[in-house]
Amino acid sequence: MFLIDSPITGKRQVARGMFVIAMEAPEIASSVHAGQFVNLGWSRGPLLRRPFSVYRVDGDRIEVVLKEVGAGTAQLLAMQPGHVVSCLGPLGRGFELKQGPRTICLVSGGLGVAPMPLAAREAAALGIRVTWVHGARSEAELCSEWEGDEVVWATDDGSRGAKGTAVAAAPDADVVLACGPNRMLAAAADRWPDAMVAVETYMGCGTGVCLGCAVPLKKGGYDRACTDGPVYRGSDVDWGTLPSHLAYAITS
Amino acid sequence: MTPDLSVAIGGLALRGPVMAASGTFGYGTEVPLLDRRALGAMVSKGIFLRPRAGTPPPRIAETPSGMLNAIGLQGPGVEALIRDYAPRWAEWDFPVLVNINGESASEYGELAARLDGVPGVAGFEINISCPNVEQGGLYFGNDPRAAAAVTEAVRKRTSLPVWVKLTPMVSDIGVIARAVEAAGADALCAINTFVGMSIDLNAYRPRLSFRTGGLSGPAIRPLAVHLAHQAARAVRIPVIGIGGIARPEDALEFLVAGCTAVQVGTATFVDPRAIAEVHDGIGAFLAARGFESLADLPRYLPRD
Repeated sequence: MFLIDSPITGKRQVARGMFVIAMEAPEIASSVHAGQFVNLGWSRGPLLRRPFSVYRVDGDRIEVVLKEVGAGTAQLLAMQPGHVVSCLGPLGRGFELKQGPRTICLVSGGLGVAPMPLAAREAAALGIRVTWVHGARSEAELCSEWEGDEVVWATDDGSRGAKGTAVAAAPDADVVLACGPNRMLAAAADRWPDAMVAVETYMGCGTGVCLGCAVPLKKGGYDRACTDGPVYRGSDVDWGTLPSHLAYAITS
Repeated sequence: MTPDLSVAIGGLALRGPVMAASGTFGYGTEVPLLDRRALGAMVSKGIFLRPRAGTPPPRIAETPSGMLNAIGLQGPGVEALIRDYAPRWAEWDFPVLVNINGESASEYGELAARLDGVPGVAGFEINISCPNVEQGGLYFGNDPRAAAAVTEAVRKRTSLPVWVKLTPMVSDIGVIARAVEAAGADALCAINTFVGMSIDLNAYRPRLSFRTGGLSGPAIRPLAVHLAHQAARAVRIPVIGIGGIARPEDALEFLVAGCTAVQVGTATFVDPRAIAEVHDGIGAFLAARGFESLADLPRYLPRD
């Protein structure tokens, strides 16, 4: 784990309201795995850091993908190249990919694309055939970037690809990874009990101390998304108790 | 010359005045990257006799310059603490105090008796101020007789240092402070979180599943400095200041206001190295002003 002052190096738009921000973080870039995240803080920012899955790695740089959902993400999106963020990571247990399976299906909804490019590259490096399934409300909200051998789009309004959810549009595969709203992950876990899903929670420290990011388990009790997760076997999570909607904006 | 930052407090000699606050440092094994030489002491996450699952999510909500939490004292119970953590504490070069909790005075006493003499356990911080449990917690903290009864129950069962962590949710903290001092406390920790509430305007309900939570962070600092000062004026035993400390100057405010030491909490969530920065900054402040030791720092502490 590293704590690095990371200059922002660029920003690009990948969908309506959705942006990728790149930053210099060499030690994290060279050690991060798919599904792991960084916890970002900045001066004159909100009190707590904000967790983001690492989207891609490019040399010494890492990228995160985000939408403006509250005051913190608004500030982050307003930053210019050269502005510095404090970057803590890599954090969490990512997707565990092994040699053996022939096919993998990466199912994402909206911002759930975040961990998928790294997952696609790690799977491809293991010789696994990658199908990228991405869903959003409409074509304008689909992420314009994708990786893998085959791509399947799904939109709620049918403006591109299959009409309906990414989970419904996805083919079966030897391994399924999913990331997106918790409601979507519950549906993925229903269809593929062994799917590895990356959950979203409120998070405090990101390092296992504050116990704020509790994930309710079917077997009872809670564990920590930040250190035990954020990747879980879909059927291990008590989806009824995990909040399906996160309200981000700071109440002031 | 490096100023002497050591302090004697509540039966313990500490190498520095900055400690890790309960619930923000786990069991001491979790926080990454911290330079441990800066730790005066550590207070463990609150423990009960039995394991506790804690509250359902959402458990935290950020607020302006602060955060609300309702973790519900999730923990493995005392036996797991003795088995999994105490042996590691026994090897560390700073003392570890256990934050103890119960639903009755006798449960606190039992917990102290079970932990007394366990290698690695250097003392107790009695938690009579957790706002996030249905039974006990804050109930004991806002009634002087109940607070004294819990303190006595623990005092009787251990010869180790006994500190008592006070709640700010009282009309006169001096009354509680004097009651637990008379009951045998070696030091006071002031303060625990304030009870707060935040509403999710999309869901038209509280943001926390527990409805309310404990407010911490810089938002509460001036309130905490005042209450720690009030407590320090009321008693002769040392007071450990807690509440929104993130920088050396924050800690120094508590020290000048009459505290003997401080605990850093929420700041560790933001920067795992916060404790070391506060510790080093206190030394730099004293050195820059020509003080040879923390004991020379001028205090503002008129006695009641």
